[in-house]
Amino acid sequence: MSEQAEKPTPRIWVFIEQEEGQPHPVSWELLGAAGRLAAELPGSVVEAVLLGHDVAEIAAEAYRYGASRVYLIDDPLLETYRNMPYGVGVSKLVTKYQPEIFLIGATTLGRDLASTIATRVKTGLTADCTELAIDPKQMILAATRPTFGGNLMATILCRKHRPQMATVRPRVLTMPEPLPAAEGELLREPLDLSESDIPVRRLRLIPGEEQINIEYADVIVAGGRGVGGPKGFTLLEELAESLGGVVGASRPVIDAGWIGHEHQVGQTGKTVRPKLYIAAGISGAVQHTVGMSGANFILAINSDPNAPIFQMANASIVGDLYEVIPELIRQVKGAGNGQ
Amino acid sequence: MASKYTFDAIVVGGGPSGTAAALTMARGGLKTVLIERGRFAGAKNFFGGVMYTHALADVLPEYLERKPPFERPVTEQGYWMLSPDSVVRIMHKSEHYKQEPAEAHTVLRAQFDPWFAEQAAAAGALLITKTTVTHILQDAKGRVIGVRTDRPDGEVYAPIVVIAEGVNNLLTQKLGLIKNDLPPRFVALAVKEYISLPPKEIQARFGLSGANEGAAIDVFGDATMGLPGTAFLYTDRAGLSIGVGMLLEEFVSHKLRPYEVLARFKNHPAIQPYLDGGKPLEYGAHLIPETGYDRMPKLSAPGVMVVGDAAGMVDAMHREGTNLAMTAGKMAGSTAIAAHQANDFSAGFLRQYRKNLEATFVLKDMKQYRRMTDFLDSTPHFMGTYANFLNDAALRYFTAHGMPKRDMEKQIVGLLQERRSFFGMASDMLKLLRAMRG
Amino acid sequence: MHSVVAIKQVPDTSNVRINPETGTLIREGVPTIINPYDIHAVEMAVRIKEQFGGTVTVITMGPPKAMEALIECVEQGADRGILISDRRFGAADTLATSYVLAHTVEALQEAGPVDLLLFGKQAIDGDTGQVGPGVAARLHVPLLSNAVAIESFDPVARKAVIHRKIEQGIEVIETSLPALLTVEKEIAAVKRAPLPNLINAASYKPELWTADAPVPFDIEQVGIKGSPTIVGKAFTPPAREAGAIMSVAEKGLSEAVADALAMIVQASVVTLPNQNGGRP
Repeated sequence: MSEQAEKPTPRIWVFIEQEEGQPHPVSWELLGAAGRLAAELPGSVVEAVLLGHDVAEIAAEAYRYGASRVYLIDDPLLETYRNMPYGVGVSKLVTKYQPEIFLIGATTLGRDLASTIATRVKTGLTADCTELAIDPKQMILAATRPTFGGNLMATILCRKHRPQMATVRPRVLTMPEPLPAAEGELLREPLDLSESDIPVRRLRLIPGEEQINIEYADVIVAGGRGVGGPKGFTLLEELAESLGGVVGASRPVIDAGWIGHEHQVGQTGKTVRPKLYIAAGISGAVQHTVGMSGANFILAINSDPNAPIFQMANASIVGDLYEVIPELIRQVKGAGNGQ
Repeated sequence: MASKYTFDAIVVGGGPSGTAAALTMARGGLKTVLIERGRFAGAKNFFGGVMYTHALADVLPEYLERKPPFERPVTEQGYWMLSPDSVVRIMHKSEHYKQEPAEAHTVLRAQFDPWFAEQAAAAGALLITKTTVTHILQDAKGRVIGVRTDRPDGEVYAPIVVIAEGVNNLLTQKLGLIKNDLPPRFVALAVKEYISLPPKEIQARFGLSGANEGAAIDVFGDATMGLPGTAFLYTDRAGLSIGVGMLLEEFVSHKLRPYEVLARFKNHPAIQPYLDGGKPLEYGAHLIPETGYDRMPKLSAPGVMVVGDAAGMVDAMHREGTNLAMTAGKMAGSTAIAAHQANDFSAGFLRQYRKNLEATFVLKDMKQYRRMTDFLDSTPHFMGTYANFLNDAALRYFTAHGMPKRDMEKQIVGLLQERRSFFGMASDMLKLLRAMRG
Repeated sequence: MHSVVAIKQVPDTSNVRINPETGTLIREGVPTIINPYDIHAVEMAVRIKEQFGGTVTVITMGPPKAMEALIECVEQGADRGILISDRRFGAADTLATSYVLAHTVEALQEAGPVDLLLFGKQAIDGDTGQVGPGVAARLHVPLLSNAVAIESFDPVARKAVIHRKIEQGIEVIETSLPALLTVEKEIAAVKRAPLPNLINAASYKPELWTADAPVPFDIEQVGIKGSPTIVGKAFTPPAREAGAIMSVAEKGLSEAVADALAMIVQASVVTLPNQNGGRP
C-alpha cells in the first residue's frame, strides 16, 4: 500500500466509540457497513479511529470486524469523553490522513463529536442515516436519512468536500459476524494537549437509575396513547417479562409522563430492531414507526380497526388491549391451553 | 394601576366583530388592545363560508388594496332540494355578480381572520394572542373598568370594554347581560369539512369559467335527514367547503352524531360526484347562536358593549353572521370613540350603540326574522316533506309521457296531499309568511 | 450578563403532509411553531436574566415569517430579537447555518461580551442536532450538548456547572464561560408568560439583518455556496406490507391470540416459554 501513489487510497473510516474501555456495538455495525461500501468503491480500505486511555486492546476487536488499520490516540486526558480534546484529536487525524468517508455512531457522544469534527475540517455531515450506499455514477457516498419527523426520506450527497461524514443510529444497521482471527496495523498518534488547554472537567457522573437497553432488546412490548394511563404499563411489563423483553412507548405517552423517556421509540426516541415488537394501543404515526420498522415481526393490538399500525404489522389483533394482553400473558406462560 | 397597562379600550375576542371594533377604535385614535384566546385571531374559527363585502368595506374602505385572502367571488348561488335519491336545483348565475368588487366572496376563516386582525394591528391596535379573558373588572358602582386574563400580572384597564367573545358568552353571562346559557334549542351546531381539489377540477364540476367565478349553494331536505337545518357547499380556490348545520336540540333528540350526518350528506348521490377524489384536509365543528331578536342580551352597560355571536347577532334565515358582526363591531367602535370625546361611559351614553344598530340591517333583519327559529321548531317536517315532494313532482313531470297533462298535474297535487293535509299546508305557509315578515 | 439564544421556526411535524406523487412536502396550511427545544432554551436564558440581570438576545436565520417566532420569544421574556434573513442564505446546510449564526454572535461580541449561548438540542424538522455544536466549534467555546440543568452559574468567576444527559446517566461538568449549551426540554419548564410581556411584544419589531448590513457576511460561506451537502433525492419511506388482521369480535379472544402467537412462532423470531403458542 503506497501513500505516494498518484491517486491516494480512498480510506473509509469508522469511529470506535468506547466508554470506560467498553466499545459501543454501533462501532461494529458501522465497520460492517464500511466493508459493504468498500466493496463498491474500488481500491478503498476500511480503517478505524480509536481514542481513549489504555484502550489499545479494543483495536484487536476492530480488526475482527474488518478494520485493516486502527489510528489510536491514547492519552490520560481522554479518560472520559470531552468534546474539546476528542474534537481536536480526531480533527488532527482527519487533516493528516484525509479519509474519503467517515462514519460515526449517532449516539449522544457520536453526535456531539461528529458535528465538531465536520465544522473544524469544514465538510458535510449527514446525521442519523438509515441507509448508506455508493452512488454508482459519481462514486460518492449516498446517505439516506428520514427528515420532517420521518415523513420524508432524503438522500444526501457531499460532492466536493472530504471526508464525506455520516452518523448512523445504533441498530439501524445489522451487526456483522466477527472474523475469528484477523490482523491489522495499529498506528499511534499523539494528542499534544495539556489539561490547562481544556475548558471543561467532569466533576462526577450520576448513573442512570435503571439502564434499560431498549435498542438492543430482542423483544419489546410498546404502549401508546391507547393504553390509557400509567397503570396500563404494569400490564405491558408483565407481558414483556414473560417474553424476556422490555417495555417501549410512543411519544405521546412520554409527553404525558406515563413512563420515562428512556422507553421512547421513534423519531425523537430510540431506533429499535427487535425480533418481536408488540405495539399495544399505538396508532402507528410515522414518527413512531420510523423507530421500529426494522423489527423482524410486528404484532399490533388496537381497538380501532382502521389504525394505520395494522398496515405494517405482520399480525394484528383488533380488540381491547386490556382483554388481549392478559390473554397473551396467559397463553405465553402456558398456564391456559388457549381454549 | 400602572399607566402601561391602561388603555382607552379593550376588545375581548379577535373574530370579525371584535376586530372590526378594534380597527374602528384604533383608527379613531383610541389606544386599543385586542385580546384573543387562540394562537392567532381566527384560530378558534373553522369556517368556510361567504363573506359579504359591504360590511367589510364599511369597516375598511380600502380593503381591496390590502389583499384580503378571498377564495372566489360568488357568481352563482342558489338552492338544492334533496330527497333521498334525487335533487331539484334552483340556481342563479348572472353577469351582474361579476362586477368588481364582487358583493360576496367565499373565504376560509382560518386565513381571513388573521388577515383582518393584521389590519387592526396596522391601524395601531395591540394584538395579544394566546390569552383568555377570565373576568370583567368592575368598580364599586358596577362600572366596567377593565379585564383580568389567565396570565400572571394579567390585568389591564380601560374605560371601555367591547365583548366579542363568541357564542360561548360566559363573560356576557357573568355580567348579567343575558340570563343564562343558551338552551340547545337556540344553538345550532355546524360540522364542516374542507376538501382539497385542483382548481381546474372545481371549475369543470361546477361549470365555472375560471378562478374569477365561484358557487355558493345551500342544500335542504335530505341533507339534514329532513330535519330543520341547512347544509352548504361552497367553492374555494383549490377546495370545497361542505357542511351541515342543525339545531343542537335536533342532534340530541334524534341521537345523531354530527359527523355521521355530514358523512351521509357527502355520500348522497347528488353530492358525492362533486367531492369525488378530493382530500379532506380539515374537519371541525362550531356552534352558532340562533338566539333570535327576542332573546338577545342587553347590548351595553356602564363601560361595556357586546357584539357579534356573543350577542346572538346571526340571521338564521340567511345564514349571515360575519357581516352582522362586523357592522356591530364598527358601531360599538364608533360609540366608544364618541364616549371618549364626551368622556361619558355611562349606560345612558353607550345606549347609542344599540340605537345606531337599530338603524342598520343588523337589527332590522334580526327583527324581521325573529320568528324563524320558532317556525322551524313548530313545523319540523317542513324541510323534509316539501323537498321530497318537489323531487317526486319533478320525476312525474319529466317521465309522464303518454299521459294527459291534466292527469299528471292531478297526480302531483295528490302527491302533496298524501304527505300533508290541505289545512296542514295552509298553516305551514301562513307560519312561513309570518316568520319572514317578522 | 448577556445570553444569546438561537432558535428556529419549524413546521409542526405532527401536521406535516407529503404529496405522495411528488414526494415533496406540502407546506401550505402547515402551521409553524418555535422548535420545541428552543423555547426551553429561551426560558433558561430568561431565568438567568431574572437572577443575574443583563439581557437576552434571540437570533434566528430564516424567512421573513420567522419574525413571529422572535416576537414569541420576546413574549417569553427575551429583550431583543434578530432575524438574519436574505435570499442568499437559502438552502443552507448545517455548516453554512453554523457560519451565519457564529458570525452573528461575533458581531454581537464586538458590542460587548456574550457570556452564554443556548441552543435547542435539535430541530424537529431536520433532527440533525449539528448547528449548535458547529457554532461552538467555530467560536472556540466549550460545547455542552444535551444539557438538562444548570447546577450553578457564576458570571463573576466565569464558571458554571452543567448537567448533561448522556447514555450512562447524568454527567456533571464544570465549564468556563462563555460556553454553548444545547438543551433538552428538562433544562427549564416553560412558564406562562406574564401579560406585560405580551403587551410589550405586541408592538416589538425585531431587527432584520441581511447578508450586507449591518454586518457583512462572507457570501462564499452562506447558502448553497457554503453548503457541502446537497439533497440528491427525496422520497416517501417505503411501506411494510400488512399481515393478517384478526378481530376479537369475530374470532373470539383466545383464538385470535392463539393465532397471533402461532404466527410469531412460525416466523421463528423468538422462542416462547410455551412453544406451542398456547394451543392444546
